[in-house]
Amino acid sequence: MSLDATYTREIPLVEGKTSFKEIDDVIARPTETKPNIKWFIAIGISSTALLTGAVCLGLTFWYGIGLWGNNQPVGWAFDIINFVFWIGIGHAGTLISAILFLFRQKWRTGIARFAEGMTIFAVMTAGIFPAIHTGRPWLDGYLVPYPNQHGLWVNFTSPLLWDVFAVSTYFTVSFVFWFIGLIPDFATLRDRTTSGIKKAIYTALSLGWRGSNRHWQHYERVYLILAGLSTPLVLSVHTIVSFDFAVSVIPGWHTTIFPPYFVAGAIFSGFGMVSTVLIIVRKVFDMEHIITVNTLEKMNKILLATGTMVGYAYAMEFFIAWYSGNPIEQFTFINRAFGPYSWAYWIMFSCNVFFPQLFWFKKIRRNIPLTFVLVLLVNVGMWFERYVIIVTSLTRDYLPSSWGMYFPTMYDFGILLGSFGLFFTLVLLFAKTMPVVAMSEIKAVTEGAQPSHKHKHE
Amino acid sequence: MDYIKKQLPDSLTKTGGIMLAVGVLILIMAFIFTPQRAFFDYLWIYLFLVSIGVGSLALVALEYLVGATWSTPFRRITEILASMTPVLIILAIPLFFGMHDLFHWTHAEVVENDAILTAKSPYLNVEFFIARTAFCLLLWVMFYFLLTRNSEKQDLDGDPKFTKRNVTLSTIFAPLFVVTITIAAIDWAMSLEPHWFSTIFGVYYFAGTIVAALAATTYASVKLKEGGYLDKALGNDSFYSLGTLMFGFNVFWAYIAFSQFILIWYADLPEETFWLIHRWEGSWKFVSLALLFFHFVFPFLILVGRNIKTNIQALKWMAPWMLVAHALDLYWLIFPTLFRGNASFGWQELSFPLIVIGLTMVVFKMSANKKNLMAIKDPKMEMGLDFHL
Repeated sequence: MSLDATYTREIPLVEGKTSFKEIDDVIARPTETKPNIKWFIAIGISSTALLTGAVCLGLTFWYGIGLWGNNQPVGWAFDIINFVFWIGIGHAGTLISAILFLFRQKWRTGIARFAEGMTIFAVMTAGIFPAIHTGRPWLDGYLVPYPNQHGLWVNFTSPLLWDVFAVSTYFTVSFVFWFIGLIPDFATLRDRTTSGIKKAIYTALSLGWRGSNRHWQHYERVYLILAGLSTPLVLSVHTIVSFDFAVSVIPGWHTTIFPPYFVAGAIFSGFGMVSTVLIIVRKVFDMEHIITVNTLEKMNKILLATGTMVGYAYAMEFFIAWYSGNPIEQFTFINRAFGPYSWAYWIMFSCNVFFPQLFWFKKIRRNIPLTFVLVLLVNVGMWFERYVIIVTSLTRDYLPSSWGMYFPTMYDFGILLGSFGLFFTLVLLFAKTMPVVAMSEIKAVTEGAQPSHKHKHE
Repeated sequence: MDYIKKQLPDSLTKTGGIMLAVGVLILIMAFIFTPQRAFFDYLWIYLFLVSIGVGSLALVALEYLVGATWSTPFRRITEILASMTPVLIILAIPLFFGMHDLFHWTHAEVVENDAILTAKSPYLNVEFFIARTAFCLLLWVMFYFLLTRNSEKQDLDGDPKFTKRNVTLSTIFAPLFVVTITIAAIDWAMSLEPHWFSTIFGVYYFAGTIVAALAATTYASVKLKEGGYLDKALGNDSFYSLGTLMFGFNVFWAYIAFSQFILIWYADLPEETFWLIHRWEGSWKFVSLALLFFHFVFPFLILVGRNIKTNIQALKWMAPWMLVAHALDLYWLIFPTLFRGNASFGWQELSFPLIVIGLTMVVFKMSANKKNLMAIKDPKMEMGLDFHL
């Protein structure tokens, strides 16, 4: 909650006196006008990246994953790094839309829709990687447990399988949550549009919404229930992703703090990505009075908090590795920080723990260009965190005779680029076809939308 | 607001004093007959009081940090509960005399013949342990005095500058609290089994502490509300939020406990599993199961609905329930070191409820005597009283 300097009243979340019509106009404009040249340039770049990834992926299908840098002992590399990275990005959306909703943080209103959309796209992007890392993606159907003529069953005791369930459940619920939130806005677009085709599409999508009192009552109840369901789900997804590592006995992977540490890291990386995109969006779409500096400042506070939590986990890992008295654990962490991949470790450490500490200062939190630089660093740092965890632990096995190094190939980079291409192409399409801010919700937090009478206590 | 200060009844000091005296008497007898066990009882009592005092202090800081308004009417009660913090300094002294009985790693001859303990001795040694404990306690007490002084000064003139100062103080306190509570967890609970280690342990301990502090605040608030000591405008929706937060942190506790358990169980490394095995041998199995059901399963099912949390009668039962669950949690953490093979609850352990309840009553009354029970001029108070779901 944002309070003014006297701590007696809330600061309005939308700046200036904005009429309801004006809000609709601003938010609906991208869906009602022809895209400008900037948008075409942006989607040109992102779809080129997507196609590059598609080509690399096609070649991988044809020749096999030998094209990648994966080797013995590094059996997991870019494939799993990218999976964890993108799944993590998705978490911010659910945090903003569901958890902050339960915490009654109204400032989420301006950014929730966009963040939710990013969740959907990030999970879609993430889903590609476990599917392709199997090497024979046409057999991935066997991941679904069903009675079959081969008598083949999945390994129910493996967290990799739990991932299949967790991610697909998470995707489904997030999608429903996002769609439910969009219904009133689809109805607004339906009523505003003059094009016959658009009218038909928005009519279908708005599911007969008329904005009656009863509709709103049902809507709000469903929204609350879905928020309650999404909250444990979002925690479970990254918890199970962390189990992929932590249940094994690989030094550097098996440590009990992994579940909350991964969840904090996921939220941290997700906020980094949401901030990165929103800083551009608010500028391009003239939404600076809706997605305000106050909102970005609060996001920066969450980045500071979650980044420091991640730092706490790094410190605990180091301390307990020493405290355990286990020489293999100790070697692993010294190797991370000072071994052949120390450059990756220090990129991770500085981007995730050190630079976010600048957000202690209000001036920096409210400085948009600097925030943009820092959130970009968060994205970089969190990608490298997964690189450090996966690659450094695998290159230094229990048997020094099987130690090795990992060098990614151009196909690895191509597919990574393609994942960014897919994500941003979807984001751009979303921004063109759907309202990126919840029109119905934002009106409730404008100046003058509150009850006009003052409740008196007698 | 129409708050009028009413003194708490003197019976609080009387009943509390009698309970405390009887509890201390039992503890002294325990020291005579079973000194080692008495020190474990003392540690159990001490850690519970840490949860009440320091956990409440963290809640006070949390309100300032996140700018919550709904909790402002309850904050003074949490501050009064946090007044246990200065008492903890005095109570720590007997603990230092019991280190030999409590902590295996203080035995020089054991450490000499144990490579792992020798490796840990730069951290686990008596001097450093005392220094760390002193550091944590002094830091907590310092922030207790700073935060409550500003809050009480505000009762006179309602100047928002005090809120601003406390927001700054709370921001500084937050990371320091995380570090100190982790040290406390490792030193006072984890090092009872000096070979064992778990990176999540600090988070686990923190989660339990916050649940206990929330339960204490909830119980005290409901009792005071019923006795007519608080503003009449304070409605059930505000209590609902307290109940929800308690529910939420309890689920968080369960999540952390489950994470720790499943990772150790799944990896099945003997250097970690022995700690869980000690908690599954003989009758310890039932304590572990009781912890699962009474700390998580039943409270979850009971508190998940909305109606129960707006019902302050129900909260009056659920808050002590959570406090008992926290006591069980601490018992489960501490006593398997002493009672290998089977859990035990003897007359010595009766000192725990008597001292904890008695001392809390006495300290609460003494601290509350000098203060308003609500932060009457806090600028956020009006919004807090006006809170509706």
